[in-house]
Amino acid sequence: MKIVVVGATSAIAQAAIRIWAGEGHTLIVFGRNNSELERIAADARVRGAVAVTVHAGEITSNAYIASAVDSLAVNGGVDQALIAHGSLTDAERAATEPDYLAREFTVNFTSACVWAQLLANAMAANEQPVTKTSRGDRSRTIAVISSVAGERGRYSNFAYGAAKAGLTAFCDGLRAKMLPRGVYIVTVKPGTVDTPMTAHMKRGALTASAESVARGIVGAMNNKTDIAYLPLIWWPIMSIVRAIPERIAKKLKW
Amino acid sequence: MTPVSLDQPWGRGFNVEHTHAFARDSELPTRSFLPRGLGRSYGDVCVNDSGVLLHNFRRDRLLDFDEVHGVLRCESGASIADIAAVMVRKGWFPAVVPGTRFVTVGGAIANDIHGKNHHVCGTFSRSVLSMLLRRSDQDVQIVESNHPLEDVTVAGLGLSGVIDEAMLQLDCIPGPGIKQDTVLFGGNGSIDGYLSLDASSQAWPYTVGWIDTLDRGLRGVFFRGEHCDGPDDWLTPNAAKLAMPVDAPQWVLGRWSAKAFNELYYRAQGLKSATRETIPLWQFFFPLDAVTAWNRAYGKRGFVQYQFVVPRAAAREVVPKILAHLRESNVASYLAVIKSFGEHLSRGLLSFPMPGVTVALDVPAPNEKDRRALDRADAMVADAGGRVYPAKDARMSAVMFKRFYPQWERVEAMRDPMISSSFWRRVTRSS
Repeated sequence: MKIVVVGATSAIAQAAIRIWAGEGHTLIVFGRNNSELERIAADARVRGAVAVTVHAGEITSNAYIASAVDSLAVNGGVDQALIAHGSLTDAERAATEPDYLAREFTVNFTSACVWAQLLANAMAANEQPVTKTSRGDRSRTIAVISSVAGERGRYSNFAYGAAKAGLTAFCDGLRAKMLPRGVYIVTVKPGTVDTPMTAHMKRGALTASAESVARGIVGAMNNKTDIAYLPLIWWPIMSIVRAIPERIAKKLKW
Repeated sequence: MTPVSLDQPWGRGFNVEHTHAFARDSELPTRSFLPRGLGRSYGDVCVNDSGVLLHNFRRDRLLDFDEVHGVLRCESGASIADIAAVMVRKGWFPAVVPGTRFVTVGGAIANDIHGKNHHVCGTFSRSVLSMLLRRSDQDVQIVESNHPLEDVTVAGLGLSGVIDEAMLQLDCIPGPGIKQDTVLFGGNGSIDGYLSLDASSQAWPYTVGWIDTLDRGLRGVFFRGEHCDGPDDWLTPNAAKLAMPVDAPQWVLGRWSAKAFNELYYRAQGLKSATRETIPLWQFFFPLDAVTAWNRAYGKRGFVQYQFVVPRAAAREVVPKILAHLRESNVASYLAVIKSFGEHLSRGLLSFPMPGVTVALDVPAPNEKDRRALDRADAMVADAGGRVYPAKDARMSAVMFKRFYPQWERVEAMRDPMISSSFWRRVTRSS
């Protein structure tokens, strides 16, 4: 298959790229840091990727996203896409710097929505799977990494949570809209993952490895799962978190 | 691949305080730090108490592979596990692997690890064609044969700079299997049985022995193996199905349970004595990797491993003497590994292997008395012209270290001034 990865330098994306490389797929990776992307591409080639193309650029700018998706369509389209970029918002800074807060929303919410929408439009235009696989039609699937943080605004990181909540809602709507056009949207909701983004946080019993989350994402995309809590334990946990009455929740410093 | 603990070494039981940094492209920490891989060293060579640990395990990309010559260039945080899993499929295997595959290339170089094939091809560093080294006080440089930093980077315990990348020569293998021979030996209180099996097995690429140090007769089991083909489902290791979820209680760890374990182990081997079988290479090289965090079996007070080597001429006499001393001092051990090193000399000034016989044994949570017994063993090793392995150590004295490694001062002189470790401060302090 031909698979696009946006935000390829993220730890979860790198782990997913390794899985796809080992399965011998073609990869097109987007990110900002060219030298890191080149290393990731080299790694994928050694591990068995058929071909890897690197695009370094301003992946949160609308103009860049539009031209990137156009060029993908011109080059025969893609089967699957993973939208993985994100930034763990510094809550203190967000409380005092409006420009920072707005920029974080662009990274975590707006740009991810634009990528998902434009890629979905492009995939819908393809009647046939770009690559026919023996295991059914896995084409026209887009996974978007949201977060369990988007399930409820919490005392400690609601700026990040709000962006992810918006992204989750956008994906729900996009999934419904695209269903008749044969494009599938997978919303990925990881809990705390052991990555450089969370390096300053304490590792708990629920902290998952980037590798296990990546395996979950690849599986969810192949099965066209609508919403994937990774690991699954977060589904019951977040059900409880959502059920806590606001008059109690507002007093929790979590 | 992530470490089991970001602070503790594999032997655990340390009371340490670290600041953690994660390796990025070019920045090094601005105060005293120590580069670290997966933390599989047993003692304080991977500890930097009150300082910074620069974790390198995420810099694990494989950058280039020459399929014709088997030369791999990779980032130094790449693990042997990862490299082997990718390369076995292509018909290649790391030239030297230790008893666990969960070590990084950087750690393998910095400790100049050895494997079951030392008698044939020497230590890990012999398969390292070049390294990219980053220091706080110099530009990034390529370190290869005869570079002034070569002999302090190989086996340099990470002190000469951060190893960013390495170029490795891999071995061509016929497939994912190992043809393994198991032979029982000993029982008469000497290691002659082991030595004669070893002498007659020099043509085998991999040899190792297991010895029951709690048994007066020093009975043991000898394993020898060679690569062979195997079914496709051996190409990838089975994911660890077992894990030690909690620390074992202290009473499990005494001498009697060790004795019982050794008895069971010996009998299990005995039932199929002098057998020949074909097994997945993962099982041959990394038997303990099947249990995640097996170090927890030693309880939260942890353990040390005592590994020494004595020159070949002295081995026959000295090894049984040291083992008898440890047995009489009640220093319990589940599993002692015995291996005869070959003649290859390493480039590293602090490299552990020398032509001779090495024994490694686990010592659970040593108390004062155990420590005195081990100090006495150190003296016996030193008198025989041997040495003790820093990568396994948490206790040797500065005096002994300087006797074992008389060239330590050159390593100290060439050390990156920003890099230090708890081990290095401990063994280089003036007494």
